[in-house]
Amino acid sequence: MLGIRLGRGSLGTERAQEALAGYAFIAIPLALFMIFNIGSLFYSLYISFWRWEILGPTDFLGLRNYQFILRDEIFHTAVKNSVYYTVIVVPIQMALGLTLAVTVNQIWRGRSFFRAAFYFPAIASSAAITVLFIYILAPDGLLNHLLELIGVVPLSFHNRGNWLGHSDTALNSVIGLNAWTTSGTMMLYYLGSLQAIPSEVYEAAKVDGAGGWTTFRRITFPLLAPAHYLVAVVSVIGALQLFDQAYIAGGADGNPNYALMTIVLYLYNATFRQFEFGYAAAVGIVLFIIIFTATLIQRRFFGSSDWASSR
Amino acid sequence: MSDTTAARPLTAVEPLPDDNRSRRRIGRIVIYAILILYSLIIFLPFLWTLSTSFKTLPESLQLTIIPREPTTYGYVKAWTQLLPPLPVMFLNSAIIAAIATLTNVFLGALGGYAFARLRFPGREALFLLVLGTLMIPDQLRLVPVYQILVNLRLIAPGPENYVGISLIFAISATSLFIMRQFFLTLPFDLEESARMDGAGFFTAFWRVLLPLSRPALAVVAIMTFQGTWNGFFWPLVILQAPAHWTLPLGLSQFRFQYSADWPPLMAMDVIATVPIVLLYLFFQRYFVGGLSAGAVKG
Repeated sequence: MLGIRLGRGSLGTERAQEALAGYAFIAIPLALFMIFNIGSLFYSLYISFWRWEILGPTDFLGLRNYQFILRDEIFHTAVKNSVYYTVIVVPIQMALGLTLAVTVNQIWRGRSFFRAAFYFPAIASSAAITVLFIYILAPDGLLNHLLELIGVVPLSFHNRGNWLGHSDTALNSVIGLNAWTTSGTMMLYYLGSLQAIPSEVYEAAKVDGAGGWTTFRRITFPLLAPAHYLVAVVSVIGALQLFDQAYIAGGADGNPNYALMTIVLYLYNATFRQFEFGYAAAVGIVLFIIIFTATLIQRRFFGSSDWASSR
Repeated sequence: MSDTTAARPLTAVEPLPDDNRSRRRIGRIVIYAILILYSLIIFLPFLWTLSTSFKTLPESLQLTIIPREPTTYGYVKAWTQLLPPLPVMFLNSAIIAAIATLTNVFLGALGGYAFARLRFPGREALFLLVLGTLMIPDQLRLVPVYQILVNLRLIAPGPENYVGISLIFAISATSLFIMRQFFLTLPFDLEESARMDGAGFFTAFWRVLLPLSRPALAVVAIMTFQGTWNGFFWPLVILQAPAHWTLPLGLSQFRFQYSADWPPLMAMDVIATVPIVLLYLFFQRYFVGGLSAGAVKG
């Protein structure tokens, strides 16, 4: 829109200089984005059509990598685990974040303390948190000690108190771990929106005789629709990319018995254990399609008239 | 809502003042009880880690919050007996995080300034392109990025490996976004007067605008440092030689090697987390400054 008018007096030169400066300023960042992000996206698609190992491409396979993926049983397990994880963890994250935000928003004294405290787990590394939970959830760890303290005998459970080590409880343990870690972040997203609700709305409800619960259910909750949407989208994208915790707790195989095998762990294995780069690239594309579809579905869901009218 | 408000007399719906006050007090007690309980749920695991890091091996399996015989055995073992040595991993984490912080601050400011205040054809489209990269999951980039770095011979046992990881961390769209949004808020005649005095575009940026943007630079610096220090996926992929491992990589390895020896493992956990906790204590407001910017990821 802002055409460069070279050689048309001092204004034109000035404009041209400004444009040149602009390009020079963004040159390095843009080059990096072009190579490692946008270029990689297309490169990934290209690689996915080949049998491509450490030494590079050998045979053109067309869509056959994708066919192999869809037929592999471990991939099915990975998708099942990732979807189960997402479907369970996201509502927990949202409910926890919302509860904390509404509760913190009720008080004045100590508000900044509690806000800072609840965000605290989010500043530590996924590795540090996972190792810490491996210790707490071990058979002789803190959780079982606390359970014993209230008279529950973890050894009597069918996982024998080995929460991360038993295939029935491993994934649920990671759900608990990540709900705990992210609750503060989700709280902050909600707090921002809560504070944007004008106080007249609450006053009107009060005059109307609405109790605390009614006010929350009929007014606060619907008015938070944009925050629900934001938190849901961010959580779902993050959940479908579950990797660090699964890898650190269960190793590259997602032990025990593939209970922690996720889509990204599967992709990692295809790359660095089988060295099937073409196949792995195809897994990446499939993951992208899954994430993209999930985001579109949420947009449809949250964008429906029911949600929009509550704004 | 407002219709019914007008129709109803106020006195009929308001409870007696006394009743109201005691109900409100009970409500407040419940709220503080919830908040304190959840704070315990948040802090107990961290306290447990800290406590265990000062325990003897037998005591690490017992339910004691304050160690009965406090010992530095865990720290000494973690610091001196790991391979690669813990100080090396600490240094790797620090070097990689420091480089990423510098590049994000500098390139973020430079690019953010241009996108906010310099007029050039294609500016909006290019900025949208940069923001669009936030939609690309890291894992989708795994194979191509790895292949590119292999081709550039940056996946290597030598120091060029650090160049490889630094290229991946060099600039994030979030850093650019934060800086651009900040530069949009400053008055536009600032650099014009500098330009009148004959300063070039870079000088105007460097001398006039940059000194004013410390709060935004601090947000970018803190966010980048924390994210890189804690990073797991890219270091795991790129830093394959143990001599280049960062603390999170070491933790993920020694968690198997030392699976029954909790005190050194927890000491390592503490050492890996303390730098970020210190940053959080001193620069708390900058930690969440980027949160709203992170929302563009959605």
